[in-house]
Amino acid sequence: MAAVLVHIDLDGARPHASSLQALAAGRAVASSWGATLYAAVIVHDPARRTSESVVPGVAAFRLPGEVRVIEAVRTTLARGGADKIVVAKTPVPIEPLWSTLGPAWQAILDRLRARMVVFGADAPSAPELGPRTAALLGARLLLRAHAVPGDHVELRDRDGGHVGAGDSGATVALIGSAPRLAPHSDDDIDVMVLAPAGAADPRIELVGSAPAALVHTTGAVIAIGDDAAGDPEIARAAAQLAAALGASVVGSADAATAGAVASGAVLPPGAALAPALCVTIGVPPVDLAGATSVVQIAAAGGTGGDATLNGPIAPNIAELARALEGR
Amino acid sequence: MTAALRVALWLGGAPPRCAIRWLDGALAAAARFPGATAVAAGPATWLDLAADRAARAGLPSVGVVTDLALDYLGWAQIMAAAARRLGATTILVDEASRPERFAEVCAIAELCEAAQLTHVVAIAPEAGAIHASRASGPTLQTVRITGPAVLGLRIAGSPVDEPATPSPAMRRSDLASLGLDPAVLGHRVVPPRAGAEPRRTVERVADHLADFLALRAPVTEREARTGKETRAKGSRSVKGARGPKGE
Repeated sequence: MAAVLVHIDLDGARPHASSLQALAAGRAVASSWGATLYAAVIVHDPARRTSESVVPGVAAFRLPGEVRVIEAVRTTLARGGADKIVVAKTPVPIEPLWSTLGPAWQAILDRLRARMVVFGADAPSAPELGPRTAALLGARLLLRAHAVPGDHVELRDRDGGHVGAGDSGATVALIGSAPRLAPHSDDDIDVMVLAPAGAADPRIELVGSAPAALVHTTGAVIAIGDDAAGDPEIARAAAQLAAALGASVVGSADAATAGAVASGAVLPPGAALAPALCVTIGVPPVDLAGATSVVQIAAAGGTGGDATLNGPIAPNIAELARALEGR
Repeated sequence: MTAALRVALWLGGAPPRCAIRWLDGALAAAARFPGATAVAAGPATWLDLAADRAARAGLPSVGVVTDLALDYLGWAQIMAAAARRLGATTILVDEASRPERFAEVCAIAELCEAAQLTHVVAIAPEAGAIHASRASGPTLQTVRITGPAVLGLRIAGSPVDEPATPSPAMRRSDLASLGLDPAVLGHRVVPPRAGAEPRRTVERVADHLADFLALRAPVTEREARTGKETRAKGSRSVKGARGPKGE
């Protein structure tokens, strides 16, 4: 039977929200295609060291709840629809880098030989693990895909790429959104624990980390122009939309003075951003050529981007926010 | 010591989607490595632009002429072959000019058996190594890189006022000269896709934005947390009629 494999990033001791979206999409595909849905987690096992005499290869056994982290995520993943859970232990502290996670992830891939591998598009490890996995498998790659219901569920991405039950070959998909699915109550599912050999790639050495500046964001932003920021109703609606999207509102110092932008979200004129999504309101003083997707609201003569909304600004934004909150 | 690094910059198989600011930023970053070479592939008009911008940044350039429209792995095969021909062990990639290009970073790394680092926002050569800053969600990681590596750059150049001018200063080659068979590479061709019209209604814009809601926990998680077992309107059981437990 074919396998659908979902990579689960952890956010503390819980599965990352984006990974749970990927799990929901994987569930829809697996149920439609008659496949087994595996959810795979890589956990740091500080008890293991690279010099430790771990038997190379794989030690697989049924062992729910052996590790506290495993127990913490097991129920959530079971309720999310996983048929089986795979946990790979690594002696390396978890960082969202191929150099850190690659050896353990490859062991999972080698073990399961999945037909489809799924990541949450906004999960921390997805940019590093997703495309590398696709290249390893020689697979087609879907970016920010979603499940399309039908007789046989398909995955489609915004560029027109798609995969269905009848397509041959492997597929790797980074999931942007998933269907609404009710929780499953079967908590009694197998947990397979792997202890693969292999340490971090010494060619990439993590020296340190710090909070990223807003200009480096890779997520979603709402960029508001000065004219729009001066209208309190628009500013309120922008904040509502930002909350619905999990985005930050950015703008100029004048927009901050008007109260539409927090003091830490002020950008210098002409600042270049490369977020996954930028919603512009009015004409913000930022360069968005690097944005993956641009949605323009009340842009003077705005006809470009993926979407353009003209008409009453604040009501349109508020309606957008309400529509997203309901999803 | 930085001369020990043999650097090539992959500009991709198509021109920037919107503006050349990120292309210029990648070229400026590569120009900090002595002997670096810019590589582009694709149609002649794109190669002319790439040659012009590379020349302005003071970099020699190589163009691989092809009309194939390839996927991430197809372009990666071309760059990997070009890097081998140039003897480059460090490959920089202009990742920001087109959103789909970050995948080529990983594919080139896989083909070259190199380390990889995506989403690099700052880079500095230092004593045979490279220091890089990488954006990872709300975190900025500082990384030291030694040995063969492929780095995806998201570094913006200055705003460009002057128009691009065609320049002949580019060494041109073809797929065969890199040891690549166009017929074999043709298996990675992606079908032409019609450009989507911008969405113009609230409902359609909301549909588009919904693909960026992945940072929010899905309904199953929220319901589980509150203990609600009732199904959301229009929702289905997570395990449908088919599948290993639904048979």
